[in-house]
Amino acid sequence: MNNDNLVEQGMNTAADINNNYSSAPAGDDLLDFDDDPLSATGVSRKSLVIFFLIDTSGSMKGKKMGELNTVMEELIPEIRKVGEADTEVKVAVLTFSTDVRWMYSAPIPIEEFEWARLRASGVTSLGAALKELNARMSRNGFLNSPSLSFAPVIFLMTDGYPSDDYKAGLKELQANSWYKFGLKAALGIGSEANDNVLAEFTGSADTVVHAYSGGQLAQMIKIIAVTSSQIGSKSMTLSDDTSHELGEEDVFAAKQKLLGQQIQDLVGKAEADDVPFDTGW
Amino acid sequence: MFNGFSHSVKGASHEKTGLVCQDSSAYKVCDDYAICVVADGHGSKKHFRSNLGSKFAVEATISTIDRFYADKAGFEENLPKNYRLIIKNIQKQIISDWNKLVEEHLSQNPVTDEEKSKFTEEEFAAIQPESYYGTTLIVGVAGKNFTFGVQIGDGTLVALFDDGKAVMPMEYNEAAPANVTASMCNSNAAGMFSAFYRDKQKLIAMFTSTDGLYTSFGSEFDFLDYHTIITSKLNDFENLKKIIVNNLTKRAHFGTEDDISLSCVYDEELFAQKHDLIVSEVEANKQRAAERKAERLKKHVETE
Repeated sequence: MNNDNLVEQGMNTAADINNNYSSAPAGDDLLDFDDDPLSATGVSRKSLVIFFLIDTSGSMKGKKMGELNTVMEELIPEIRKVGEADTEVKVAVLTFSTDVRWMYSAPIPIEEFEWARLRASGVTSLGAALKELNARMSRNGFLNSPSLSFAPVIFLMTDGYPSDDYKAGLKELQANSWYKFGLKAALGIGSEANDNVLAEFTGSADTVVHAYSGGQLAQMIKIIAVTSSQIGSKSMTLSDDTSHELGEEDVFAAKQKLLGQQIQDLVGKAEADDVPFDTGW
Repeated sequence: MFNGFSHSVKGASHEKTGLVCQDSSAYKVCDDYAICVVADGHGSKKHFRSNLGSKFAVEATISTIDRFYADKAGFEENLPKNYRLIIKNIQKQIISDWNKLVEEHLSQNPVTDEEKSKFTEEEFAAIQPESYYGTTLIVGVAGKNFTFGVQIGDGTLVALFDDGKAVMPMEYNEAAPANVTASMCNSNAAGMFSAFYRDKQKLIAMFTSTDGLYTSFGSEFDFLDYHTIITSKLNDFENLKKIIVNNLTKRAHFGTEDDISLSCVYDEELFAQKHDLIVSEVEANKQRAAERKAERLKKHVETE
């Protein structure tokens, strides 16, 4: 049988003379469609995952952990605002002490995220945490959302020197493309945190800051988390002013540089007038 | 009897930049076979005619499949025996037809000064002419006794066979270079196709879509469930087409803002027999989605 039995051929092309493709209407109200049975599978905006790597070793006990829990609870609504425009922000929290544990078994959309107040105990297994992060930071792991559009933000917070072979973990992680292109920032808490270790993690001293008091900790966490989420979810153009196309590496380098500049700028303006962590308790 | 539909929607990002829709889509249904095809023009600077490239890819696909089916009896007999070889041949002929359409268009419409003005002379000289038209392509073909598909570049093919489960049957070509979007304009394009072939299961419905659809979902489960819901509504076909247009428009506006194309073909008789099964799958998918969400929201850390 040949094409004599052709029933119908429909073509919708951008180049048809009839120009018969649809354009997205300008007004959101035009898109309301209460009876849409397909709304059961929601529309996802461009998405971004923020990884928090949090030291929950014994040295974090007391004011540091208490302050961190409070700040993180306050921070969630602020991160929600970042995502309100056109980005869906998801959060993944990895805690590390003697063991490493994810707060949730997958990244959680910020609208559904609830902070679990953490407890501190044990040693500082940063190397194990970096290995675990590497294992999950893949398309077959935590970055499997079809709508994922941006490299992740990775934010490390610790108050001490690693108790395991962190270099082995970092070496594995450094081979991970998501890590390479992710925005990385680190916060040292108290005077025992080693800024050199943190700079090894972020790849730059500009994206490492230090908090010596509860007030500073709150300020620094908010500065880093909000700034890095804003920059991370920014669609930077792949062409410069001369219309030359830029590669992904150029975009990554521009974002990481911008993050360093903004963090240092904001940290310079931050005020600290409360009691340091390392005195009196 | 086969039936089908196709639709392309311009993405919000292209609305903002004034770029024309880079996608093309089509379907064809006959007594003996049906084709659903979409193509996504690359749309970047050096692919400045990729909206035409995607249209040519769709046209080249339909003309190629028609040609193979010109000897229907021979094709239906030989494909099950030599499907790897014949599908390779189909891929080559699609590329060949596409290149002919590109050459013909270029000879009748030489590159304009305005098109060249965005490049330095050296930059322009370095671009292969077929790259002006660079595009992806995803095709599904439903025959009487078999189903197959071919794909080059991004995009997705979803099929519902007679068990009622939505699946992505494409066997991805691991030989295609990592981090390079395979394209009809690549010099080795014929070697960059992925493909699949099935003849043990009857096909209820098959969908091809450009990546703007896939990226508008938060999870692959949702993406597959979406196709099951569409299939469950094929009994109200005219209303469904309106729903599809509206939903694709919403996704192109609120999702990743890319152009979106969706093409579908289905077997009306088998669908009628399996309608109850598909409806029960939709309900089961809802239950599974609720269970996944409950599991996802469990906390796993030691708390105060």
